[in-house]
Amino acid sequence: MSLSVNESSAVDRFRAIVGDANVISSRDQMLVYECDGFPIAKGLPTCVVFPTSTQQVVDCVKVAAQFDLPIVPRGSGTGLAGSAVAYGEGVLLTTSRMNQIEEIDVKNRFAVVQAGVRNLALTDAVIHTGLRFSPDPSSQRAATIGGNYATNAGGINTLKHGVTANHVLGVEMVLADGSVITTRIGGLCDGVGGDLPGLLCGAEGTFGIITKLWCKLVPNPRFFRTFYAVFNSTQDACKSVSDVIACGIVPTSMEMMDGEMIRIVEDAFHFGFPTDAQSLLLLEVDGIDQLLDEQMASIVEIARSNGAQDIKMCGDAKRRAELWSARKKAFGAIGRISHSYCTQDACVPRSMLPVVMEEMGRIGRKYGVRITNVFHAGDGNIHPILLFDEDKPEEVQRTLRMSEEILEYCISIGGTITGEHGVGVEKLHLMDKMFNSATIDTFQKIKKTFDPQQRLNDGKHIPSDRLKIELLTPLKNQAGGALVTQV
Amino acid sequence: MNTNPISNTIITQTAAQLIAAVAEARDKRVPMIDYGIAHAGLGYAPPLVYTSLRQQADPSNGGILEHYTRDLTVRAAAGITISALQAALKPTNQFVPVDADDDITLGEAIDHNTWGPLRAGYGSLRDLLLGLHYIDGEARDIHVGGRTVKNVAGYDVTRFMVGSLGELGMVHEATLRTYAIPEHVLSVELSMIDPSVLDERGTDLLLSDAKPTHLSYCYRCGRAGASEGTWSAQIAYFGKHSGCLVQLRSLVTFLDSLPGVHVVGNSDVTLESDTAERMVRRAWRRTASAVVKIIVPPAATGQICKALADWSCVHQQLHIDALPLHGCIFTGGPLDGAAALSLDRLITDAVAAAGGLRIWYARPAQSDTAIDPFGSPQPDHAMLLKLKQTMDPHNVFNPGRFLR
Repeated sequence: MSLSVNESSAVDRFRAIVGDANVISSRDQMLVYECDGFPIAKGLPTCVVFPTSTQQVVDCVKVAAQFDLPIVPRGSGTGLAGSAVAYGEGVLLTTSRMNQIEEIDVKNRFAVVQAGVRNLALTDAVIHTGLRFSPDPSSQRAATIGGNYATNAGGINTLKHGVTANHVLGVEMVLADGSVITTRIGGLCDGVGGDLPGLLCGAEGTFGIITKLWCKLVPNPRFFRTFYAVFNSTQDACKSVSDVIACGIVPTSMEMMDGEMIRIVEDAFHFGFPTDAQSLLLLEVDGIDQLLDEQMASIVEIARSNGAQDIKMCGDAKRRAELWSARKKAFGAIGRISHSYCTQDACVPRSMLPVVMEEMGRIGRKYGVRITNVFHAGDGNIHPILLFDEDKPEEVQRTLRMSEEILEYCISIGGTITGEHGVGVEKLHLMDKMFNSATIDTFQKIKKTFDPQQRLNDGKHIPSDRLKIELLTPLKNQAGGALVTQV
Repeated sequence: MNTNPISNTIITQTAAQLIAAVAEARDKRVPMIDYGIAHAGLGYAPPLVYTSLRQQADPSNGGILEHYTRDLTVRAAAGITISALQAALKPTNQFVPVDADDDITLGEAIDHNTWGPLRAGYGSLRDLLLGLHYIDGEARDIHVGGRTVKNVAGYDVTRFMVGSLGELGMVHEATLRTYAIPEHVLSVELSMIDPSVLDERGTDLLLSDAKPTHLSYCYRCGRAGASEGTWSAQIAYFGKHSGCLVQLRSLVTFLDSLPGVHVVGNSDVTLESDTAERMVRRAWRRTASAVVKIIVPPAATGQICKALADWSCVHQQLHIDALPLHGCIFTGGPLDGAAALSLDRLITDAVAAAGGLRIWYARPAQSDTAIDPFGSPQPDHAMLLKLKQTMDPHNVFNPGRFLR
């Protein structure tokens, strides 16, 4: 793959700004960046640039504008919807080396971080104060806070403690013309006018490049009660979830694995889960130590009333850590049994979970695609995992069609196509089923307010009126796998 | 005060009526003004000619469009009053934890990002809202967000509309989370000599078992000419009775390390009476000639409150209500123009030193041209203005109220 004269000149300019060590332009080295956590569609950028400061981001953005190169912002690339990939041409501007924690203010309970600070790194830096940064996606060891913000990442404890949007007070962002905007005032809890930090959260790099964030720090819970319960059916487990929510209890987390996933995880990690169970509900409450036993007793009673066969309480920190490790490693365990997988991320009303799980099974049988489930049951945020071989084009197509049917069903019952992973390119074609044309038009106009030339991650998150990205089976030994066409 | 002549008053009860009204406003170039009933003094004056808009709940449904009782979410019309909303949820033992006066509409609460002490335990409207329907400047019905508690499809215009002062569109429907009405509410009254003692210890309080569901403190002047008034704080714990007692014991232990702060009394109350008490405490804001909201870093709250109290002893009586966990202070009273100007100078200097902002919710008539309601623009003001121009290209909604 050779660069045009224009592209080569741009790369030279990037090297002058960030240094040779912070620019990658050889094809072999860039293969690592051909996709994010969504492997179906791949694309190679013109180059990958790693700025280390806001000023370098500004300078790189201006160079990209000068050479008419689109920009794709990227953090650690742990996203799951194809947002952080350059389909067609473009510069992958990666903030992962902007990893400084600039300020920690314990009295006012916020921290100022560069966008490339890893999620867990911030909590590690403040944990000694009793505080933490709350959002905890499974990728938190690797994911950047800027990336978390770009997708409004959730995680296991969002049921009680909220998503990234609830924990970021303000941001600094570089726009496509190189100008820098800062929202509101620092770490203040409020401002005047529309909630701009709220609007920017979850925009998947389509407005600008996040360079700095004011992150809320909250108390790190000290006391927990954790249990898992095994059920003979997924419906019984889902009903337990719905009953707990309906009676007003707000656990920290309620996670579920179906029978298939239990066996996959147990085979991989030997946590001691019963492999004949149809579903497993993993639940935790946190708060005041003296009150947790009573709260847990209410939840256990609900589980028993829904047919829980085996309830195991967690008595110690080690076992608790093991259980949550099992949950967080579930996706990793998939790699032992399937060449590829695709995870959906629909969110449905929690009361509908029992019928939704039944429908997942039906759809899986209809398409002949093996499907397993591990998900944030308390939020209604399901993650059906579709297993296939990406080297078999027919399987890829069946998987894509199955994904579409799953998401259309979820929309039909009042759900959304994405609870936390983002739209990216993966779900773009379903946006007009979620939103009416006036709303889509509004989104496009808002996008153009920030990015009039549509240079930043165009064609992601919302439909573009300029270009269209279509997912294709990636071809072996050939860069690119997503077709980009001008509209 | 905004006293410009009104050309017309429209009351709408349905989305269709609102669409028609907005279309007419757009076509005739007569803007629509809705500053709300509790926020009428907030912002720059409306234009000379405008149509006054009020939304009411449709009598056929009382403003409740759908209550998803098992999901603990509710879809409600923007024209429903807070009291009607809470009354509709109560039979299923649910409520919306928002500190907003009973007589204001849900739409007004959203437009003004109305929040109060309950934010400590439940968050604010930006955390409770799941989705909105609003009419935009082209009279189109825009649907953002949804019904689920997690949703990242499309841009989060739901959050963006919160606090937008009705300048971006007319919200006509909102979906919100609800919460279970607590089994028990324990209200604790504290006396304080010096509010700044809490500035340094707010984080410690939140890390302890005494972490409150809501916490506020207030200053009430002594009689006229008195050298000082009195500080009192109100803390409440929501939950089971046994849990509230555990938290009270933890609070007493915590207060041992706070000089000059003592429990005066505690009582078991209902959510209704606790809500009513919070409304009584802020009632002065509805009638006072001067009302200012100050936002600063939480650890600066007490120092600024002391400065306000000192001013109050010298000049005119002030109410001072503080939410120290969020760095929010409401102050004001029956001030004349000269006093308001003096107060504004004090606040502006204090905010500049601490880092923060101040917003005048009401200004005495003699000072409303001399005191800018919003002070120095926020860093994102220019972008907010661009977005206003995008979402309301014909400047139909509350033009010039804040963004101009």
